[in-house]
Amino acid sequence: MGFFFPHGFEYPPDFHIPPLTGTELVRIGPLSYTNSHFTMLLVATFLVVLAWLGTRQKREVPSGIQNLVEMLVQGLDDFVVSVGGAGARRYLPLFGTLFLFIVTSNWLSVTPFFGQVELLRAPTSDYHVNFGMAVIAFVAYQTDGFRKFGLPYLSRWFNFSGFKEGVFVGVIMVLVGLIELFSELFRMLTLTLRLWGNVLGGEIMLVVMSGLLLLPGLAIPFAGFEVFIGLIQGLVFGLLVLMYFVLALEGHGEEHGEEASHTEASDYRDGSHAQHPAVQGA
Amino acid sequence: MEFAGLAAGIAVGFGVLGPGIGVGIATAAANEAIGRNPDAAGAIRANLILGAALAEGLGILSFVLGILLWTRIG
Repeated sequence: MGFFFPHGFEYPPDFHIPPLTGTELVRIGPLSYTNSHFTMLLVATFLVVLAWLGTRQKREVPSGIQNLVEMLVQGLDDFVVSVGGAGARRYLPLFGTLFLFIVTSNWLSVTPFFGQVELLRAPTSDYHVNFGMAVIAFVAYQTDGFRKFGLPYLSRWFNFSGFKEGVFVGVIMVLVGLIELFSELFRMLTLTLRLWGNVLGGEIMLVVMSGLLLLPGLAIPFAGFEVFIGLIQGLVFGLLVLMYFVLALEGHGEEHGEEASHTEASDYRDGSHAQHPAVQGA
Repeated sequence: MEFAGLAAGIAVGFGVLGPGIGVGIATAAANEAIGRNPDAAGAIRANLILGAALAEGLGILSFVLGILLWTRIG
């Protein structure tokens, strides 16, 4: 009986709000491994096992787990192409991994025992995990920008071209560039906090609703809402990372007149020779 | 801190005004677009969900500030 009620059986229930970040389980020297690390390991194992089971026998007509995995990959591929054009397939691994990891972690936050037992904690409800993913995405798209433009990539932030038209305009453009630089750095923070706020806030809301609604089971619609929000937030994180890639590669100021979401296939440096839409079927 | 509780309440209270209005405007625009072109309802709905999630992200930022102040009450 004590197994199902980790904090003891209380009626009316008390609010046991999960801590804001992970609690330490193991300490090796200066490094401490928390329950977020442990659950991250579980999520990674689950995804690897899912992928392995889905690709063991590659049947021509898929069925079972292979069907599920193919549906996932096809759905993600369609989404990436619809957002970034055919050349954006280069970013499908990063987008797909972020999406699957974040959605699995978010759905774990609604699962029983996660957040209430000390050993288990949804990884995305710990801001350290989210910050790590945001830093990875930031470094990735800045690297791609430098790879495409070289050192002139920095000219979008340290913008001395306004001095041609007068000192006053030049100073203003320099300040605008610095504000743009701050906005770029701020993206890491908003990516982290958006996901963390949604997941931890959802857990807090579930705990408080379960405490206020005295009959068990009345909080299930809120759990359903949290499942929906978890899916959407995973999609938003991945989509924003994709958009940051597209914006970093589009060039400074040239293409503001065109649609911002469809860049030329030649912008992507993997050499994919997708046909220009105007040439197809000619 | 003595005013941490009050600050948390005011922060979250004002913080969700903007996103609330923003999501309302987005939904209104999306519904009008669906009314004009019912065949594109799927694509418009996808864009609506995306825009609502981004606008709500800013409300969540103020909620995070509320959590931060709530841990410092007293």
